[in-house]
Amino acid sequence: MFDETPQNTLPGAIKLPGAVYTISVEVNGKACTEEAPAQMTLLQFLRERLFLTGAKEGCGVGECGACTVLLNGRAVDACLVLAVEADQASVRTVEGEARDGELTLLQRAFIEHGAVQCGFCTSGMLLSAQSLLESNPHPNREEIVEAISGNLCRCTGYVQILEAIEAVGEGMEEGG
Amino acid sequence: MIRPFKYSKPRFLREALEALEKENARALAGGSDLLVELREGKSQAEHIVDVKAIPELSCFSIGKDGIIIGGQLTLNELAESKELGQTCPILGDAARTVATPQVRNRATLVGNLCTASPAADLAPPLFVLGAAVVVASKEGEQRIPIQQFFQGPKKNCLQPGQLVLRVEIPPRSTGRGVFMKKSRVRGHDLATINVAGWTNPQAGILRICIGACGPTPVLLTSSDELYQRAVCRDELLDGLATLAQDQIAPIDDLRASAAYRRSLVTVFLGRMVRILFPEEGGWPHV
Amino acid sequence: MSADQDYKYIGKGISRLDGPEKVTGSAMFVHDMTLPGMLYGKMVKSPHACARIVSIDISEAEKSPGVRAVLVGRELPYKVGIYMIDKDILAKEVARYHGEPVVAIAAQSELAAEEACAKVKIVWEALPAVLDPREGLSPAAPLVHPELASYSYMKGVFQPQPGTNISHHQKIRKGDVEIALAKADVVWEAKFYNPPVQHVAMETHTCIAQALPGSQVQIWTSAQSPFTVRNLFSACFGIPHQNIRVHVPYVGGGFGGKAGIHLEPLAYLLSQKAGGRPVKLTMTREEEFGAMPSRQGLYSQFTTGATREGKIISLVAKYIWDAGAYADYGVNVGRAASYSGAGPYEIPNCHIDSLVVYTNKVFGTAYRGFGHLEALWGIERNMDIGARRLGLDPVEFRRRNVLRPGAKTITGETVTEHTGRVDLCLEKVAEEIGWNGIQTEEERAQAMAGGKVRGKGVALLHKAPAMPVFTSSAALLKFNENGSVDLLTSIIDYGQGTYTALAQAAAEELKMPIERIQVPWESDTAMTPYDWQTVASRGAFMGCKAVIAAARDALQQIKETASQVLRAPVEELVCRDEVVFVAHRPEECLSYREVVMGYSYPNGNSIGGPVIGRGHYIAQGLTHLDLETGQGLPALDWTYGAHGAEIEVDLDTGEITVLNLATALDVGQVLNAQSLRGQIIGGVVQGLGSALLEEFRFSPQGRLLNAGFVDYKIPTSKDLPRKMSQHIILTEQLDGPYGARGVAEHPMISVPGAIGNALYDALGIDFFELPLNAERVWLGIQRKRSETQDTLPGAIKLPRAIHLDKGGA
Repeated sequence: MFDETPQNTLPGAIKLPGAVYTISVEVNGKACTEEAPAQMTLLQFLRERLFLTGAKEGCGVGECGACTVLLNGRAVDACLVLAVEADQASVRTVEGEARDGELTLLQRAFIEHGAVQCGFCTSGMLLSAQSLLESNPHPNREEIVEAISGNLCRCTGYVQILEAIEAVGEGMEEGG
Repeated sequence: MIRPFKYSKPRFLREALEALEKENARALAGGSDLLVELREGKSQAEHIVDVKAIPELSCFSIGKDGIIIGGQLTLNELAESKELGQTCPILGDAARTVATPQVRNRATLVGNLCTASPAADLAPPLFVLGAAVVVASKEGEQRIPIQQFFQGPKKNCLQPGQLVLRVEIPPRSTGRGVFMKKSRVRGHDLATINVAGWTNPQAGILRICIGACGPTPVLLTSSDELYQRAVCRDELLDGLATLAQDQIAPIDDLRASAAYRRSLVTVFLGRMVRILFPEEGGWPHV
Repeated sequence: MSADQDYKYIGKGISRLDGPEKVTGSAMFVHDMTLPGMLYGKMVKSPHACARIVSIDISEAEKSPGVRAVLVGRELPYKVGIYMIDKDILAKEVARYHGEPVVAIAAQSELAAEEACAKVKIVWEALPAVLDPREGLSPAAPLVHPELASYSYMKGVFQPQPGTNISHHQKIRKGDVEIALAKADVVWEAKFYNPPVQHVAMETHTCIAQALPGSQVQIWTSAQSPFTVRNLFSACFGIPHQNIRVHVPYVGGGFGGKAGIHLEPLAYLLSQKAGGRPVKLTMTREEEFGAMPSRQGLYSQFTTGATREGKIISLVAKYIWDAGAYADYGVNVGRAASYSGAGPYEIPNCHIDSLVVYTNKVFGTAYRGFGHLEALWGIERNMDIGARRLGLDPVEFRRRNVLRPGAKTITGETVTEHTGRVDLCLEKVAEEIGWNGIQTEEERAQAMAGGKVRGKGVALLHKAPAMPVFTSSAALLKFNENGSVDLLTSIIDYGQGTYTALAQAAAEELKMPIERIQVPWESDTAMTPYDWQTVASRGAFMGCKAVIAAARDALQQIKETASQVLRAPVEELVCRDEVVFVAHRPEECLSYREVVMGYSYPNGNSIGGPVIGRGHYIAQGLTHLDLETGQGLPALDWTYGAHGAEIEVDLDTGEITVLNLATALDVGQVLNAQSLRGQIIGGVVQGLGSALLEEFRFSPQGRLLNAGFVDYKIPTSKDLPRKMSQHIILTEQLDGPYGARGVAEHPMISVPGAIGNALYDALGIDFFELPLNAERVWLGIQRKRSETQDTLPGAIKLPRAIHLDKGGA
C-alpha cells in the first residue's frame, strides 16, 4: 500500500532501522504528499514537515489536548496518531481556520471574551470547540464543558473560554 | 521519542495474521495506548500492523443475534449510536467515561479490552453482559469468554499471530443495566473503581462486575442466588456488599488505598442496586 | 468603580493585543522554533535521591549516530543560583535529587540524543537521603550541601547556616510573645502541611542557545525574565553582559516556574562543545515534573494567644520549608512568606521563624503566590480553629483582628487609609456566600442523615511583591513615521495581559488611539530596555509607572519641537487626539505625525528628531529587613483580599463539590477589566487545584511517582465550581499607576483556606493537610464516625493515618 524505502532517514542523515513511507494528506484543504518515517506522529509531521506549529506538544501522551487537530472532521490528539495513519485523510489545523485573513466567529469570540491568555492551549482548544459547533451548532453549557474537557488550560480557569463558545452557539443561525 | 519500526496496513485478514506472527509485532487500532507505550519505551514493537483497513473488523450490528462490535469501532462511535443507546445503554455510558473526547475519537472498545487494564472501563459492562471475544488466527476463529480474555494486570490471553476481530454480546430479551465510575477528578481520569450491574428480574439474574479492585475485573459469583434468595432490597444490598468484599482484592496505589476502594465498592453497589431496583415496595422484582 | 470615568482606556475591558496571533496559531513560542544547523539536547538523570557518582562511561554514547557533544559535570567548573550560588549545571560528585541532570548530549535529532543517553553507563553509590525537612533539621541528618559555608549568597538578606541543611533562617520579632502568651485568656496550637506541587505551564521549559566566536552568546528561551537570565548567565560564566543576548518571544505560561535561570547554561555548554551549533533543550512533560523546579512543601505550626474578647495578642509561628536540593527562589519564598506570616491581622506580639531546609528532592522555586498560599492555608485554618476556641463566629473573629489604618504590621510598617481594605473584602465575600455563622453539631448531625452535607467558609489573604530593594523597570516609546508607537519593554506577558495594560497606559498618556500602539512580542536584552524580572505581581504596577514616565517624556519632546513651530511656550501646549496645540488657540496646532520624526519648515529647514520617550521606575523606599528582628519596609504595595466558599460533601465518597466561590480583592484601580477577571478566575481555579487535587507523591526512596498528567491532575473544564464571582474594592494606592496595585498572584492564595474552613463547617472535622482530595476527606469522616461509635459500612479497616508529627519540628 505504501512506497517503502529500506532505510529510515532522519533529518541530519542518521540511518536508523525502520522505514519511510510516502503519504498523501489533505491539510487545510490542500493536498500534500510527503515522506514520513513510520514512527513519526501526525503532530511531528505537521510541525516538522509542514511547519504548521499551531498544534503544540503539551504532554505527548494524549492527556492535555494542546495538539488537537481535526482528522476527517473529528478532534484527535495529533500526538497519538501516526503520520502514516493519516494517509488519504483530511486534517484541519488552526492555521486553516481563518480564511483570507478573516478570523472565524469562534476565533473572534475567543479574543473578545478574553478566552486567551498565554495562548499555548488555544489552538487545540479552538479546534475542539469548532468541532463541537459543527456537529451541534447550539450547544448548552454542559455540552461545551464536555467538548473542551480534554484540553487543559492552566491560565484562564476555562470560564471565558466557555463563554466565548457559548456566545458563538447563541449567535449562530440555524444551519449556519 | 518513539523508536523506529515498520508499519503495514493490510487489507486482508490473512495478511494481518501473518504479519502478527512476527516477533515483536503489535496490532494498531486507535493507538491511544500503543503510542504511549512506544513513546515510553514500554513496548519494543518492531512491526506495527494497522488493522483499520481489514473489513472483518468493521462490523457493528444490533439485532436478534445480539450485539456485535468490530475491532475498529471507536468509543465515541459507540457512545453516539442511538440504537446501542436504546438497546444496551451501559456500553455507551462506560465509553463516555474513558479519557478525553479526542482519545475517544480514536480509542476502540476492543483496544480497551486488549490493554487488559484492571481498570478498563468497558470491561465491567461486557463482563455482566456475558460477552465473548472473537479471536482469529491462521487456524481459524475462536470465541473466548471475556473472563478468560483477561489474564492479569495488562495481560490478555492473545498469542502471537492472533487478532481480536470483534466482541459479541449474546441476545437479551429483557433486562437493564447500570454503569458507574469513580475517579479522583471529574475531568478525565482512570477509574479508582468502576462497577457494572445487569439484571433480568424475570429470569432471576443479577450480575455485578467490579473493576480496579483486583488483577482483572471481578465478576461476582453467586450474585444470582443472592438475588433470588433476598426477601428485600436491603438484604440484597447487604449480601452483595459482603460478597463483593470477599471477592475483590484491591491494592494500594497512587489512585487510592485498598481500604478506600473497598469502601467505594460498597457505596457504589448500594447506589447501583437502588437504580436497578428503584422501588423498595415491589420486591421481589419478578 | 467610579474612578475610571475620566479615563479613555484605563479600566476598560480591552481585548488582548496578541489575540489574533494566538487564535491563528501564528504566535511563535520557543517550542516552535528551529534554527539552521540546530542540535537537540537530552539529559541522563539521576535514578537516586542522593548518590555518589562512582564513574561515568560515555564512550559508547560518544560513538552513537548523530551525536555532536557529550557533557559530564566534572568538566564544568561553574555554579549557578539566584540568591545562593549552590547548583552545578550537571551533578558532579553527588546527585542530590532523583531526576537531577548528570550527563547531557547534543545530537542531530531528539531520537539520536535519546538513543545516545541510553548508552551512558554510570556506577552509583547510593547515599542516605534527606526526604523530610523536619528530619533534615536534626543534628544527625546527612548534609545535602556539606560545602554550604563556601557558597556565595546575597549577603545582608539571607542567612544560610553552614553545618546544617538550613539555606535561610528568616526571623520576625515584634513585641514579647512570652509575656503576651502568659496574659492570653485562650491559647491554642495547630500544625499544617502543604505538599510540593508544580506550576504546570502548558509550554514546558525550553530554550535554544548558541555559543558564538568571541564569547558571544545568543539565547532564545521560554522565560519570565530575560535580564535575570542574562545577569545570572554572566555571573555563572564570567561573560560580560553585553556579549550575551537573550530573546524571549511568546511564552506558554510561567506562574513563577520560568523566573530565574534554568536550562540556558546547559544548552550553551552543549553548543560550545558542539562547535557553536545552536542547541535546543526542551523538557518533556515528565521531565518538567521531575527535573524542573516545583513549589516547595511547607510544614507550619502556630501557637496563638487571644483575649476573651477575641483580640489576638500573641502569635508564635514556625515555617519549615521542604526546599529540595537547591535554594533557587526557595530562600526568598521562606523570607517573603514570613513577613506576611501572621496573615492580614494586627498582632502586637509576633515571633516567626522561617527555616528553608535543603532536602534530596526536586528543588522549589517561585510559584504564583510565592509562599503565601502555603502559609495562609495554615494561618486561615488557624483563625477558624481559634474562633471556635473563643466561641466566636469566624467572620466576627477576623473583624476584630484585621489590619486597619493605623495598625502596625509585623515588620513595623504602618497601615494607612491607602494601604487597602481587607475588612471590606471580608464583608463582601461573607455577604456573597450568605454567611450566617458556623453550623452547630446538631445541625450537622441532622444534615448528615441525607448523605450530603454543606458548609461555608471564608479566608483572607494579603501579599506584597517579594523583590530586592533595588528592583526597577524601564520602558521606551518609539514613534514610527506614521505617528504610531512601538512600546518596548522587557516585562514578559506570558498570558497575564500586561502588554495590553501597558498599551492602555501609553494610549491614555499619549492621548492617542490604542490601535496605534504596538507592543512587539519579543523581548531582547540587546534591544528592549532593562527590567529586573516579571514576577511578584509587579509587572503592570512598575511597567505602567515606567510607561507613564516614558509617555510624559515623549510628549515633552513633541511639545519642545511644536513650541518652536507654533511659537508658544511649552507650558502653553496641550496634546489631545494625536494633535499638539496652543491651549487658548486650538487652531494653532500640529499633528504628532508632523513632529515625531522631526519637523520640516516649508523652506526645508528641519528641527527636532525622532521622538523616543524614555521612562523608568524604581521601587521607592524599600529597606532590607533587619536580620535579627525582621523589622523594615519590604513591600511596594499590599494587595488584600478574601475568598468565601460554599461546598457540598458526599459523605460516602468524601468528594467535595464547590457550589460557590466568591473572591474579593482590593485592587486599587482596575487597569483592564477583562484581563483582571481572567486573572482572578484563572487564579481561583489554580488555587482549587492546590486545594483539592495537586500534590507530588514520592516513593520511600524519594522518587517522584506522579511525574505526568496521568497521576498529577490539574483542574479541567469539568472541575469548576458551580458558581464563581469576582468582586473589586477600589482603595487607591497612592503611588500605584492610576491607583492600581498588583493582583496576578492573589486570586489563588486563600482558596484552600476557604474550602478547608467550609469543610469544617460541613463536617465538624479539622483538616490540616492539603490537598483535600476525596480520599483524605473520606478518611476524616471515617475517623470521626469511628470515634463517635458509628458503624462503618462493611467494617472497613482504616489505613494508617498520614501523621504530621515526625522528627524535630
